[in-house]
Amino acid sequence: MMKRNQLILGDKTLKDITDDICQPVETLPGKGWVGMFLGAKTLLLFYIFVLGMIVANGMGLLGVNHPNGWGTMIITFVFWIGIGHAGTLISAILFLFRQKWRTSVARTAEAMTVFAVMTAGLFPLLHTGRPWLDFWLFPYPNQRGPLWVNFRSPLLWDVFAVSTYATVSMVFWYVGLVPDFATLKDRAKNKIRRMIYGILSLGWRGTARNWSHYEMVYLILAGLSTPLVLSVHTIVSFDFAVSNLPGWHTTIFPPYFVAGAIFSGFAMVVTLMTLVRIGFPQFKDYITLDHMEVMNKIIMTTGLMVGYAYASEFFVAWYSGNPYERYVFMNRAGIPGTSGDYAWSYWIMVTCNVIIPQIFWMKWARRSIPVMFIVSIFVNIGMWFERFVITITSLHNDFLPSNWGNYAWSFWDGALLVGSFGMFLTLFLLYLRVFPAISIAEIKPVLPVGRNDHKGGH
Amino acid sequence: MSEFHDHNHDHDENLEAKKAARPKIEHNNNYWLSIDQYMQDPEFQKTVDAEFMSSPLREEEEKNPWARREFLKLMGASLALSTASCIRRPVQKIVPYNKQPEEITFGVPNYYTSTYFDGQESIGVLVKTREGRPIKLESLVNAPLNEGGTNVRSQAHVLSLYDPDRLTAPKKNIFNEKRTNKDTISITWENTDAAIVEELKKGGVYFLTGNIVSPSSQAVVKDFAEGFKATHVAWEVLANEDIRKGQLASYKTDVLPFYRFDKAKMVVSIDADFLGTWVAPTVFTKQYSKTRKDFSNMSRVVAFDSNYSLTGANADIRVRIKPSQQLKVAVAIAQELVVNQGRSSYAQNGEVKSWLSSFGKAADGLNMEPALVKEIAKDLWDNRGESLIVAGGLKAQTETAHALHVVVNFLNSVLENDGKTIQYKKSMKSSATHSGMVALLDAMKEKKVKTLVIHTVNPMFALPAKAEFKELLKNVETVVYIGDRMNETAHWAHYVLPENHSMETWSDAELVSGVYSIQQPAIKPMYDTQSMELTLMTWCFQAKVGPKRIQEFETYYDYLRNFWKTDVFPKVGKGGNFEKSWQELLQTGSVGDVNNSADGARSFAVSSMTELKKPVDAQGWELVLYSTSQLGDGAGSSANIGWLHELPDPITKVVWDNYASISLAAANKLKVKNNSVIEITVGKDKMELPVLVQPGLQDDVIAVAVGYGRTHVGAVGNGVGKNTYELVQVQNGQMVFAGAKVEVKATGAKYELAQTQTHHSMQGRQIVVEATLKEYQNKKDHIIHKHPIWSVWSGHQYNGHKWGMAIDLNSCTGCSACMTACQSENNIAVVGKKYVMQGREMHWIRIDRYYTGTPEDASAVFQPVMCQHCDNAPCETVCPVLATVHSSEGLNEMVYNRCVGTRYCSNNCPYKVRRFNWFNYTKKIPAPTNMAFNPDVTVRVRGVMEKCTFCVQRIKEGKNKAKLENRPLQDGEIKTACQTSCPTNAITFGDVNDPNSQVAKLFKADRSYALLEEWHAAPAVRYMAKIKNNGKEQIASASAHEGGH
Repeated sequence: MMKRNQLILGDKTLKDITDDICQPVETLPGKGWVGMFLGAKTLLLFYIFVLGMIVANGMGLLGVNHPNGWGTMIITFVFWIGIGHAGTLISAILFLFRQKWRTSVARTAEAMTVFAVMTAGLFPLLHTGRPWLDFWLFPYPNQRGPLWVNFRSPLLWDVFAVSTYATVSMVFWYVGLVPDFATLKDRAKNKIRRMIYGILSLGWRGTARNWSHYEMVYLILAGLSTPLVLSVHTIVSFDFAVSNLPGWHTTIFPPYFVAGAIFSGFAMVVTLMTLVRIGFPQFKDYITLDHMEVMNKIIMTTGLMVGYAYASEFFVAWYSGNPYERYVFMNRAGIPGTSGDYAWSYWIMVTCNVIIPQIFWMKWARRSIPVMFIVSIFVNIGMWFERFVITITSLHNDFLPSNWGNYAWSFWDGALLVGSFGMFLTLFLLYLRVFPAISIAEIKPVLPVGRNDHKGGH
Repeated sequence: MSEFHDHNHDHDENLEAKKAARPKIEHNNNYWLSIDQYMQDPEFQKTVDAEFMSSPLREEEEKNPWARREFLKLMGASLALSTASCIRRPVQKIVPYNKQPEEITFGVPNYYTSTYFDGQESIGVLVKTREGRPIKLESLVNAPLNEGGTNVRSQAHVLSLYDPDRLTAPKKNIFNEKRTNKDTISITWENTDAAIVEELKKGGVYFLTGNIVSPSSQAVVKDFAEGFKATHVAWEVLANEDIRKGQLASYKTDVLPFYRFDKAKMVVSIDADFLGTWVAPTVFTKQYSKTRKDFSNMSRVVAFDSNYSLTGANADIRVRIKPSQQLKVAVAIAQELVVNQGRSSYAQNGEVKSWLSSFGKAADGLNMEPALVKEIAKDLWDNRGESLIVAGGLKAQTETAHALHVVVNFLNSVLENDGKTIQYKKSMKSSATHSGMVALLDAMKEKKVKTLVIHTVNPMFALPAKAEFKELLKNVETVVYIGDRMNETAHWAHYVLPENHSMETWSDAELVSGVYSIQQPAIKPMYDTQSMELTLMTWCFQAKVGPKRIQEFETYYDYLRNFWKTDVFPKVGKGGNFEKSWQELLQTGSVGDVNNSADGARSFAVSSMTELKKPVDAQGWELVLYSTSQLGDGAGSSANIGWLHELPDPITKVVWDNYASISLAAANKLKVKNNSVIEITVGKDKMELPVLVQPGLQDDVIAVAVGYGRTHVGAVGNGVGKNTYELVQVQNGQMVFAGAKVEVKATGAKYELAQTQTHHSMQGRQIVVEATLKEYQNKKDHIIHKHPIWSVWSGHQYNGHKWGMAIDLNSCTGCSACMTACQSENNIAVVGKKYVMQGREMHWIRIDRYYTGTPEDASAVFQPVMCQHCDNAPCETVCPVLATVHSSEGLNEMVYNRCVGTRYCSNNCPYKVRRFNWFNYTKKIPAPTNMAFNPDVTVRVRGVMEKCTFCVQRIKEGKNKAKLENRPLQDGEIKTACQTSCPTNAITFGDVNDPNSQVAKLFKADRSYALLEEWHAAPAVRYMAKIKNNGKEQIASASAHEGGH
């Protein structure tokens, strides 16, 4: 059995842990945080303005057109939904597999999931032509016949998948927070604080009964979330895979999308965690280089998986003998004889997602904060482009060449993409200051107290 | 204005009267409240009045807006607003007729036979009106020439009626002394007429019109000219004067012959775009299509083309030339026929032979195999008497235009076509000339013109600035413009008299000699306008000049009726009662027989040819100005019609612009690409134009469309493209539109053109199936690659009707009339250049144009594509809200109300025929353009998807009619808008479940295939393969259909 390094460094006592983790919540924010928050908030306000303009004037502001019926909104939706995957994977699947290292990053990864899903969730609602009628997408008893939704449409499955996922991951996250809220309540030095955290902690008293119920609920929720990790992106991939379009209509999409989602999710976790380590230096003892290394290994592995998927798509396109599909993939890569208008995006995607993460074969790179930060940013860029490649290159040159046309990228597309980060970051920064960013209750059990460190294992 | 005041006044009086009628409130002074009251103090009286604010009898709102009732109202309203919070859509009430007008049933269209005339060609049409307003031009199947065929501009004509930029009342322009600045004021007809009559009486009257084909109009103009001793000048850009001059020289008869393409088995066109813009393209398209349907007796068309014209695109053999080669082509054919093959009696004529031989080997230097000339000559001779050689159009207005026509006439005489495929007795009507205009300019220079009356033509736009029309106009004391808008010319006229739209006035047309057609008004004049004829009649009446008939009638309608009674019916009518004949005319729309023409061959004056000088060979770049089928010469009102600008050019698919088309080799030579701006210099004229690389052009050619660059046509058309009439050269008193020498240089600038189709190759996919005639005769249905298809699903069951459409690609010429017809029928929005560039045009039917072969000798094929109404429709399964569903009759129905706009359906449609409302287009349509909407089709809001419905409103109408008459629906009773507009009957619609229906039979024909058939969406539209009669064994360009099996 391999010897593991200690999960928590610095010989912390239980009090140290509580103090360290509660510190950002209980002190006034520093200049760094305020600066970042103001930036993020301004971006969020800009984002609200952009969305308002789009709703007020019509989808025509964006670059979507004929034949590219979907564009930035759907691309960015899939991007954020994908990011959300890491959180649930870490908190649910790794929990079930008893991966104790998850405890340090689980809370923040879950928060990231919730915020990413919230950011993502807006897109499919706002990308419709008449967003004020979006409630028609939900099956509910009505006076129009009653007129029901089309259960054959993958978009409808998507509505269920995303809303279920959002609900479950939010509940899971919240349940995990309950004991920590109680800790914060107990430590509160004024009434209002005490009251707010008191309400949030749902009357948690820390009794054995409480703990027993809590553990059971957490386990059940972990069990519920686990299939969701696979199902959400599988169903998102159905939006593409179930349709007719060459480049979309492939059976590899569900696993390929899930792998890609985990890939991008872990990249985002790494990005955020490096930032959290810089912003709150005391967290370096909890989110150690070992944690980061493990995640980097996952990034490299999933990066290889998406790389395999890219290659396999080409093979299948050739093997199928389907001229339309062959053309789409040749066109993606810009092979001569095709228009190759978006070959640049394909090669950005391959570079960022397949080539750059290979640096993690080297241990020093896996353990270097600057390297992993840069790689994670590249992976985020690459994964956005993956969705761009899938959506646009398949749509822009499909069956009848007379229809072929390029995406009409506009100012509003860029504004929307950038603005969505404003929403995500604002939520995330607020979270860092009002919620304990690491699970106090889960950290304490993984302390090396009472274990023989020198004999390895646990 | 005064009327308006009166009305207000009336209203006030009523109010006073009402107030007076109200019961008085008596104050009883026996019982008093205070001293004030007893004394009837006015101050106190006020407080008493205000005491009972609630009395409905008091009108105190002005004094105290917060009176109790008002307060309650406002409170109620704010409560309602705050609780409901959303803004409700404004309630719009539909008010039925209080009194039923005669002949109008609400919701049922009325049709009137009429004629559409565009300056060159007249076609018989039906005007469809709803509740008293014209909404569409429909096909009139018994029209003698076009036989129901329509064209792009006639389909868009209805929009010019509702053009917001039309003049609504007479205007007077007051100029400063130098006539450089002006002020426009409104004026009444009475004052205008009085002032103009005074001017007319002074003499020196010139009347400038366009081509007039209306015999009644001609009579009015003749009477007017007689009365005021006026000189009538008829001028058009597309005058076809070259043909008449050629006829005059060769045959001593000044006629514009009526060409019979329907009788021609072998047609050679030298730049005469008879399917697009030449003489009578709609009529010729109809005629041509008849010779293409029977494959055992199929005609052949050879086109020598110096731009890429519709005729070139549809020709079996197309040869790219430059304008200076036109004469060489004609001579080469003549040499081959007469000199080399010794055909006809002219082969013995030494004079002819030596003249022809003086050209040397004329076929050298043309882009064709030497064998082709032999083949063409052989085909022509084999089909003598049933062949036709034509030349003309703007592209043929070169320095050698006259020689070209004479040689063409010679060829037709050699081939015994004269009097057979060329009818000169039943000739077409054309009085317009360029020489008339030149004479008018001279008269203006000599200050002979005192009063110039201009009707509709637009010399300020269509004459180059160097013709100095503007300067010469200052020599004219009074300029009167009769037209529909303040255009470039009207801008400089003293009086601008608004004319009725052609749908607001009676008129007629002589289609060919002895065949007349009536033009009926379909709506009362919308504004204070009157017809040109009535204006002339009024002037004659007021001045008491001219023949009796022009003074005696009060309206032009009376004049016209009288003219028909005295002049037309005696010539063509069957005699008998005039009223009866008149009613019959209104029913049928026309009178006279096209076919009873017994023309013998005229003798060709050999000297007309042998006297011609041999032109010198031209080198270097050559200009080709051509007119387009969308705008024509662009000088009229059509340049302000959004539908026409948004209609992609049939060949280039560019919208909202003109541009310089050059070949790929030329572009490489100049080191330019699409959208690069080049500067072209013709003589002293310079112009910068964007480049469009056009396959199939001769490498020295720079082809530019005319009709663009209007400055005073209206909000839609102003500033679209460039006015290329500035490049027209005048050489030896002759207008030269093509063949002028050009200097070209790249400027390095960019100007983006909007194209609706940017990819031009079929990528080896089976999209348009094309075969040569020989191939088809040998292989029959094996020209189509068929895929084995099976499905686990039995499919939809259609127990009643099952609608289907068959489109014959062999008939389709790509003319695009169906696109405009669809736009008119289905209220389709125009989005403008910026959004077409972003790929957001809204056409429900589009014409895909692909090129095959090499870029040098590209051959074009056309394919109309609309919603294919698939049985296994991919759009239906993916819509999350069931907004697009399958009907029990096989229609793919779009439910606009239910659509939330996910656009998933569009993504999943392999044909990409769905159109999305990216913005609220309908809202931006100005009044009165909204009156052009078809009330049977809803307009779409932003955010919903739309697409072809197979004209479901027409299906319903047909079914309802059959049901009311208690009979089964007949095959062919329901016709879609694209189908009726088509001049070649390429589209057939009907019930596939009825085995005897035309469409069911066509579906089983050997040329029938479905687009992307192997994808098994099972479309309800099937195409019929295109057959090329080029004498080859195989389509040279056909690349094997890749994969998929």
